[in-house]
Amino acid sequence: MEKAHIHHLYRRASFGIGPERLSGLQELERPLVVAELFKSSRTVEKLTIPTPDIDNHLATMPMDRKSKKFKELVKKSRKKHVVYNRSWINKMTNTQQELRERMTLFWANHFVMRSRNILFSQSFNNTLRTHALGNFKDFVVAIAQEPGMLDYLNNQQNKKGAPNENFARELMELFTLGLGNYSETDIKEAARAFTGWRHDPLGNFKIAKKHHDDGQKSFLGNTGNFSGEEIIQLILNQPACARFIATKVYRHFVNDIVNEEHIEAIAKVFSKDYDISTMMRFIFNSDWFYTSENIGSKIKSPIDLLVGLMRVVPFSWEKPQQLKYIERLLGQVLLEPPNVAGWPEGRSWIDANTMMVRLKLPSVLLKNGEIAFDVKGEFEDSFEAFSKKNNFSRKLAITTKWEVFEAEYGNLSDEELRFYMLGSSIETGTKKFLETLELENKQDFCIQLMSLPEYQLC
Amino acid sequence: MNRRVFLKNSSLASGALFVPGFLKACDAVPTLAMGAKKLVVIQLSGGNDGLNTLVQHTNDSYLKNRPVIARKKQQLLSVSDELGFHESLKAFKHLYDEGYVSVMNSVGYPNPSRSHFRSTDIWHTASGSDEYFQTGWVGRYLEKASKSPLGAIEVDDTLSLLMKGANVNGIATKDARLFYRTTQDPFFSNVLSANADVHLSEHNLGYLYKTAVDAKSSAGYIYEKTKVYESKASYPKNAFGKQLKTISEFMNSGLETQIYYASLGGFDTHANQVNAQKRLLEVYSDGIAAFMADLKNTGALKDTLVLTFSEFGRRLKQNTANGTDHGAANMVFLMGDNLKHKGLYNQAPNLLDLDANGDIKYQIDFRDIYASLLKEWLDTAPSDILKGRFQTLGLV
Repeated sequence: MEKAHIHHLYRRASFGIGPERLSGLQELERPLVVAELFKSSRTVEKLTIPTPDIDNHLATMPMDRKSKKFKELVKKSRKKHVVYNRSWINKMTNTQQELRERMTLFWANHFVMRSRNILFSQSFNNTLRTHALGNFKDFVVAIAQEPGMLDYLNNQQNKKGAPNENFARELMELFTLGLGNYSETDIKEAARAFTGWRHDPLGNFKIAKKHHDDGQKSFLGNTGNFSGEEIIQLILNQPACARFIATKVYRHFVNDIVNEEHIEAIAKVFSKDYDISTMMRFIFNSDWFYTSENIGSKIKSPIDLLVGLMRVVPFSWEKPQQLKYIERLLGQVLLEPPNVAGWPEGRSWIDANTMMVRLKLPSVLLKNGEIAFDVKGEFEDSFEAFSKKNNFSRKLAITTKWEVFEAEYGNLSDEELRFYMLGSSIETGTKKFLETLELENKQDFCIQLMSLPEYQLC
Repeated sequence: MNRRVFLKNSSLASGALFVPGFLKACDAVPTLAMGAKKLVVIQLSGGNDGLNTLVQHTNDSYLKNRPVIARKKQQLLSVSDELGFHESLKAFKHLYDEGYVSVMNSVGYPNPSRSHFRSTDIWHTASGSDEYFQTGWVGRYLEKASKSPLGAIEVDDTLSLLMKGANVNGIATKDARLFYRTTQDPFFSNVLSANADVHLSEHNLGYLYKTAVDAKSSAGYIYEKTKVYESKASYPKNAFGKQLKTISEFMNSGLETQIYYASLGGFDTHANQVNAQKRLLEVYSDGIAAFMADLKNTGALKDTLVLTFSEFGRRLKQNTANGTDHGAANMVFLMGDNLKHKGLYNQAPNLLDLDANGDIKYQIDFRDIYASLLKEWLDTAPSDILKGRFQTLGLV
């Protein structure tokens, strides 16, 4: 397989690839290279962090939500989210299941959920990971039964006689069909089918029989005593569902600008049995995936950018809170999506400020730089915490392992290094400017390449 | 370029000295055609307790629901027989007495969200509670009216959704000099100017270069325009005071920017509210009074309107931790010297007619206020900016 194509595939299906592994793949034909990605992602390695305090508290549930003890629990949970954020970043950086992690990140911005309970966040994250390459129906059902999701979209309050439509609405609008493919009545009827779907204090899913409406529902042209799962199946029977997911996947993995012909082809493959792996394999094996307009044309998400940097020059975040601040400056804090629609992606990652932060980032992270961040306080901050924020240390506690970079990239020519960092996309003026630099040092050159607008693309 | 020179040039973030801005072709001063009217938007973030800000101290329902945290008559700054402002709002009350303040009560929207994030989104994007917009109303104003990122500045280090349009975003900076220095790094200057004459493509790479060039020229423009002027007024020495001082300096130095946004956080008073709110309202009151006095002195006040809101109010019934939980409708302050409704715009909320959660029902849709500001102050058709039809209220 062509070098540039392997590079492209790995920038989209993973978080980039270095020369050592790329050269090993070059002898293989495309289907085998693609198969390799799926093979290495076959296993699921969950991501969990120890939460002993919270586990202990939970054992003595239920607890008064207004008690001091409960508030302490919330505070601990918030701190644990910061740690989990770092663990997730590290997992994406070091994982063997590259495609699975890439898909997990993608789905986290499709099935969007936010919880202040770390156990729910963790469970949700691992459900994304487990189903990331599996069957889409199983995935949707699992998501609908996640305690975090039941809270986030108010299904806990959805009961017979007094339905809450929030989950049913977003299920169709954002998770499966997209606007215009269902009516307000469909939402009302679907909401009835999910009445009584709730979780206990420990997060276990159950259907509360007395709150469940098992009467007849008319939904998308069908009538019956539909359960929640049956509603999901009826949604998946709609051709619009496969097309909606195909479009979202295409925008994320192929190009911001959709090609209707390609969408149709993907949707056709996907609608057969809603197998996510089959769909992704089809995309990565398609000739159009490797045409020039699809290579180096996407803007990296902040997380893609950060993980990509860490995979080239490994470094560790001593203080997880600092990672979170950097994510905030870049406009994407893991586990804190802006709303149920998720981050809009594409060009909306970029404004004057995030652009400057992106260009500065490599030298800040890798050359012991400082960065100005008096970042906004959290909503829940007390007055004391809020005023303390302004004294936040600007010095990043980061340990960089340049020796890993040297071993992998140290012997490359300047041109080769440029290829690995930027692929083939570069403005002519920038190329000329880079050629005028006399370089004695690979590390500096690497930082320069990473400080270019071109590096923001993948 | 040898290693030493590079290292010097690539100390992108350190305090190293930078070559002063040799303005390249791509740094050309932007042409701006903006209205003279300025709008300053301030968010009391976390949800300020409006019921303890303007207090109905004779109201039985108020007293009964807040046995510990209720403010007593003798503590308050009297507005009428039944109403008084919180004791921390002395300087603010002075402005109120002089007719620079309009208090709009029970502002909100149907089916209110009690999530900070969601409700802030709703206020920023001017959506309904069942709509998800990806652009802020100020961002959309930039797109339609200012047509330049310089049209709106957020005095902070990150840009809020409020300021984001589909193709034009506002600028976030709380320190024009620092922002300028970031963009003036020689490495960036060289990269950007190397492409100055190239016709940048419509593709994403062209967009990135264009954004970087815009950032550089905007930062340069703001810095050049504002570097000489320094406000002589004295502001409280806290972050909020500093933000307001920065806004005043930007305005008074002749920067064309029309809309400014700043937020003051910490209002999420679930526990031991009394002391926390006391300090926060003092920070707000002293800061805003210094700001208004400063603008009055420089003559900028006649063209300035200040809008203060919170993403929601707080529940009437206090909780067991002597705090209050997330509520719904809340008060909005409008400040300036062109107000049509000086003092109270409408009555304080009815505490006997609450919603199912025990929260204040909204009387005024916040988007009607936006529509009024757009039409009556910024001279722009609300329908161009807001999605949906909202009435104008005759505020200015």
